[in-house]
Amino acid sequence: MATDTRVILICSGKGGVGKTTLTANLGISLARQGLTTAVLDADFGLRNLDLLLGLENRIVYTAQEVLEEECRLDQALVKHKQESNLSLLPAGNPRMLDWLKPDDMKRIVDMLKEQFNYVLIDCPAGVEDGFKNAMAAAQEAIVVTNPEVSAVRDADRVIGLLNTNAIKPVQLVLNRVRPKMMANQEMLSIDDVTDILALPLLGLVLEDEQVIVSTNRGEPLTLNSVNSPAAKCYLNIAKRLQGEDIPLIDPVEESSGFGAKFRRLMQTKIF
Amino acid sequence: MNSKPQKIIINADSNQYQNWKLCVKSKFKTIKSKNIEIDCENFDLSCSDILELIAIANESNCKIVCFYSTSSKTIVSSQSLGYRSHFILENDSYNTLKMNNKDLNISKADFHQGTIRSGEYLDSPGDLLILGDVNPGAIVRAEGNIIIWGRLLGIAHAGSKGNARATISALQLRPLQLRIASKVARGPKEKPQLGLAEQARIDSEKIIISQLESI
Ligand SMILES: Nc1ncnc2c1ncn2[C@@H]1O[C@H](COP(=O)(O)OP(=O)(O)OP(=O)(O)O)[C@@H](O)[C@H]1O
Ligand SMILES: [Mg+2]
Repeated sequence: MATDTRVILICSGKGGVGKTTLTANLGISLARQGLTTAVLDADFGLRNLDLLLGLENRIVYTAQEVLEEECRLDQALVKHKQESNLSLLPAGNPRMLDWLKPDDMKRIVDMLKEQFNYVLIDCPAGVEDGFKNAMAAAQEAIVVTNPEVSAVRDADRVIGLLNTNAIKPVQLVLNRVRPKMMANQEMLSIDDVTDILALPLLGLVLEDEQVIVSTNRGEPLTLNSVNSPAAKCYLNIAKRLQGEDIPLIDPVEESSGFGAKFRRLMQTKIF
Repeated sequence: MNSKPQKIIINADSNQYQNWKLCVKSKFKTIKSKNIEIDCENFDLSCSDILELIAIANESNCKIVCFYSTSSKTIVSSQSLGYRSHFILENDSYNTLKMNNKDLNISKADFHQGTIRSGEYLDSPGDLLILGDVNPGAIVRAEGNIIIWGRLLGIAHAGSKGNARATISALQLRPLQLRIASKVARGPKEKPQLGLAEQARIDSEKIIISQLESI
């Protein structure tokens, strides 16, 4: 039985910025480090964490039946085929949205805390009830955003809500980074984003076509394609979460020849 | 002279002298430390007042290490000149001041510490002092002045009940939109000069932004 379980909310405000992809890959990476990890799909309206993990066809019960005491928690948990340290608690049907309360979410998470080192909660987009329910059960949070003005604006809104609910620490993951676009100042720079959001940067994830391929296969990148650019980023994020001191990859230096431009880039403010 | 900081208080007493600066000068004469902390209590000091204080300190071979004040204006002035500044909340000093000085007219100031983020909204019936950034998408509004010890990147509305003499000051003034009383202006596009606090006010029916001299 784990005593110091970390319950982490993965949220963004804006939709489609990469919350579910991060949850799945972080889940695999942490499990691989030997940590028992539960991923909880709190996006009842548009669930797809099960799909990304390739577990859709193994779901029998969901969080809904657990709450209604129609089954035990361990009956609803779906263990991952390759990474036995990872389990998914699937979302119930969308009608759960009508009756689910923050306390229900807390009950579920309290049950998960009894047997896992990590509980990752994949949040729905938006700042309405779905988000608020999910937030009620979390201690800390990872805010995912993209280097775009609208995504950063929504992330800022979410951070404000997390702060007023005393969730901490709140850390930042900047997803879909394209080094060349950043170097050419066609995209917000890392500094532009961290400057506004004023959060510690847990990591960057590069834009990577493999993400889309892996999504369609139901195999997170960190499972079988560990050498793809985005997979390395996800693995580093998992390690940093564990407290390892992994230096941030400078994406623009990495893409070579952009060093000088990048330094200029760090100084410009697009906001 | 030793280096343990010693405190000089500028207060209503100082005002009994014709000129508070003369009073401060005489206080410096009796000082035994090189490092001086200035407690301005509820005194409103502009940047140029503080520059004069620094000159007085230099004459006595002293160095000002920090400022204390219950006046948000003083705090912003000293901070914008790069001094360590401690804002003392009104509540503590307000009552004592009132006891000593019954007819002292202290305007109400609301104080907020921390970043104001997108979607958040602050409103004050008096002056509003913010210690932190006002991010894009956030709105701050006050019936009196707005003073931001940080960056203004969102929307600010001073003099919200029509006071056209209200001002908006910030260490960096790059809002999406500025409003004073019923006037509206969009924020400037060009980058601000580093280290200079700025102020917006109404001048000949238009909102203008200039370097902060006095608030
Ligand atoms: N680093 C990346 N590189 C390329 N594509 C990515 C990357 N991260 C995410 N994507 C793609 O972006 C889309 C949205 O990702 P995902 O479903 O993880 O976002 P989400 O924040 O969970 O969305 P929602 O708000 O709808 O739940 C997916 O098609 C995914 O493949
Ligand atoms: Mg999702």
